[in-house]
Amino acid sequence: MHSYKGRFEPTRFEDLTVTVDFHCHSACRFCIVQEGMNRFKGVPFETFQRAVDDNQKELRYRRVTFTGGEVTLEARLFDYIRHARESGTFEHLRLQTNGRLLADMSFARRLVDAGIDEFFVSLHGHDAETQDYISQRPGSFDQAMRGMENLVSLGVCLMTNTVLTTLNQPHLAQIVETVRRFSPTRMEFWNYLPMEDHADERGLISPLAELGPSLRAALDRAEQLGIETAVKYVPRCVLGSHARAQDNTQPDVVIAEVFYDLYPKFSCLYEAKCEYAETCLGLHHAYIEKLGWEPELLVPYPRSTPWAEPEYGPWVGSDQPGRGSAPATDHPDWARLVAGVAERHGAQLAEVVLQRRACLFRFEQGDGGVDLVVTARSEAGPALARSRSFNVHYRNARGSDTDGLRPLVTDAVAAIVERDQGEMLLDQRKGLVGDQAVRTRPKRSGPPG
Amino acid sequence: MTATYLDPNVLEPLALLPAAEADRHFDYCLEPYRPRRPWSGKLRAENLLWHSLLVARQRATWRALLEAVQRHVGKDLTVWGVKWDGERLWWELYFYDPRKESARATIASLTEALAPWLRLGPRVPETVPYMMFSFDLSAAASASGEVTALNLYLTGEQAHAGRSYRVTDAGAELENTYRFMEPKRNIDEVLPLIEASVFVDYSARERLKDVLFPVLFACKKVCISKKRDRDAIYFSGIAVDQLLWFLRRFAYPVPLVSFVERHQEQFEHLFFDVGIDYRTDASGRIVYPKTSYYGTL
Repeated sequence: MHSYKGRFEPTRFEDLTVTVDFHCHSACRFCIVQEGMNRFKGVPFETFQRAVDDNQKELRYRRVTFTGGEVTLEARLFDYIRHARESGTFEHLRLQTNGRLLADMSFARRLVDAGIDEFFVSLHGHDAETQDYISQRPGSFDQAMRGMENLVSLGVCLMTNTVLTTLNQPHLAQIVETVRRFSPTRMEFWNYLPMEDHADERGLISPLAELGPSLRAALDRAEQLGIETAVKYVPRCVLGSHARAQDNTQPDVVIAEVFYDLYPKFSCLYEAKCEYAETCLGLHHAYIEKLGWEPELLVPYPRSTPWAEPEYGPWVGSDQPGRGSAPATDHPDWARLVAGVAERHGAQLAEVVLQRRACLFRFEQGDGGVDLVVTARSEAGPALARSRSFNVHYRNARGSDTDGLRPLVTDAVAAIVERDQGEMLLDQRKGLVGDQAVRTRPKRSGPPG
Repeated sequence: MTATYLDPNVLEPLALLPAAEADRHFDYCLEPYRPRRPWSGKLRAENLLWHSLLVARQRATWRALLEAVQRHVGKDLTVWGVKWDGERLWWELYFYDPRKESARATIASLTEALAPWLRLGPRVPETVPYMMFSFDLSAAASASGEVTALNLYLTGEQAHAGRSYRVTDAGAELENTYRFMEPKRNIDEVLPLIEASVFVDYSARERLKDVLFPVLFACKKVCISKKRDRDAIYFSGIAVDQLLWFLRRFAYPVPLVSFVERHQEQFEHLFFDVGIDYRTDASGRIVYPKTSYYGTL
């Protein structure tokens, strides 16, 4: 199997993940959307088609990942795969799965024949007893193992995913031993994130003092075996010599937007002191509220550059594949919206910050500046102006002459309104909101009288 | 807790005060800040004060006085605090004049201006170098028509520090010390100062989370305070969603929380400040005898 190294960096702006539906035939004890399962709707095929059509114009994404729930249960999965493949815009089609149905060789082959070339298989236990206990489905371990055997024989890219909880924390190195015979291209370890059980009533949050050594042992073993690894949501300083395995990047996801309202927040006591403050998330709040800030266990890497409070959250400087070190204005499609404006006012477009829900243009002028922000168009909210796609706002007028920024703002707004032809999409436009996102539950008629 | 605090429906209508173009925005130290959003169509922070008075059935009692304060000192220039001990609400007003520039924010001037509604009892010579003073709007003050104690705040021995004295007719006594810091940038000073305590034993390191709340850690400034029988921490420059978390965490009266929930979007341009007093009880558990939140009038 040839090396896939390098294909995973940085995933933001290159990967699109589609939640085909929220059903599952396992019942993992750590499931982060237990309440949302069977409640959130999947992405309608038509919405997916629009995302793919969008990619045909912009060639933004190199990979599409189909996920769920358990995506192999979905009747229309092959329609999604076919459309993605026939669009010709994706280099790779990936399936995120618990691997159980892949135990059926004919089904596995059908997926590969349809175009799936990467399989991201969840394995949370090193043996049947542990895995089946976690999934609450006897036989699920054996099924996943047979599934992975089939994938190996089909010669496709296999990666594994393990969610780190108290249930498997003592056995992480053993999980590496369990899958080594499949020679996975990559093993990912994602720390458990409580999205509903914030009080951790299920007792799944693993203390770093125990998780750290166990995880490092697993990473050591994977390294010895030549298996690439990636770790999410574990503080970098806990990873020891495997610090570079930390990867908190996320693909763009078409999903019920409410999902993000549930997403945990993170903090670290040493954020301002740590070289990796911009990429390491620290600890999630549920962890801190249960187990504390871990002031002794966490050790900041000395900073080489001054720290500044991240005003708009994590971001990357470029949306151009392979140009991670590109200038902060290197979002050509977005910068085009305000091209020439700064120059007309003796100002400079210092940054373009593109996020899921907003794009921010930071102008500097004299000793001050102003930020112009576009969000998805909505008639409901207030806005300085509305273009075809966006609501336009300004914020953070700064410097000694904020009144003097008015012509710059006026000009920039006019440029956006004129140049936005309605084809540019923030992720929010592709997500599902309101009734789109949530299933209607049948009304109960009440107890029989 | 008074039964009315549990009633989500406050019957008396409250005319909401809209934000105006001329509004100025100050934190609880009367330091100006840049609002988080343009404030057209939003609400003034003082709505939170008026609504809290409504919830406690105290609006009629204090309305004329508060309007007089606003007229006398100037709009946006008085800091108010809403206090909650789990049983009752009360209020405190803070008047800043650190450089002695305003003849109207002095004790002498306010004593005279507020005389028709409230007698400020203690006599304080204006030669005392106070940078700020405050007093409580309490049930006792309402009943007697008199404030018997003033709090004077003086700058401390070092930058961004201060101390307060409680002044009554019987004299003045040192009450609290304060130190203001950026929570993240100054973490090496914040942690030792929090842990220098006779009221909380931090040898169990996870205890820090019960004081330095992760949700509030993302703020502009913390203030570490040492008081006579407790410690306190103030989180300054938090957004309305953090304020909501705080109100729920410390079980503020239901109508007060639901008011902020209902108007969350209309308060999103503002930064708020909150304070938390704490100590351990006889069983070693951390308790919070008083919490507070702040805005300007």
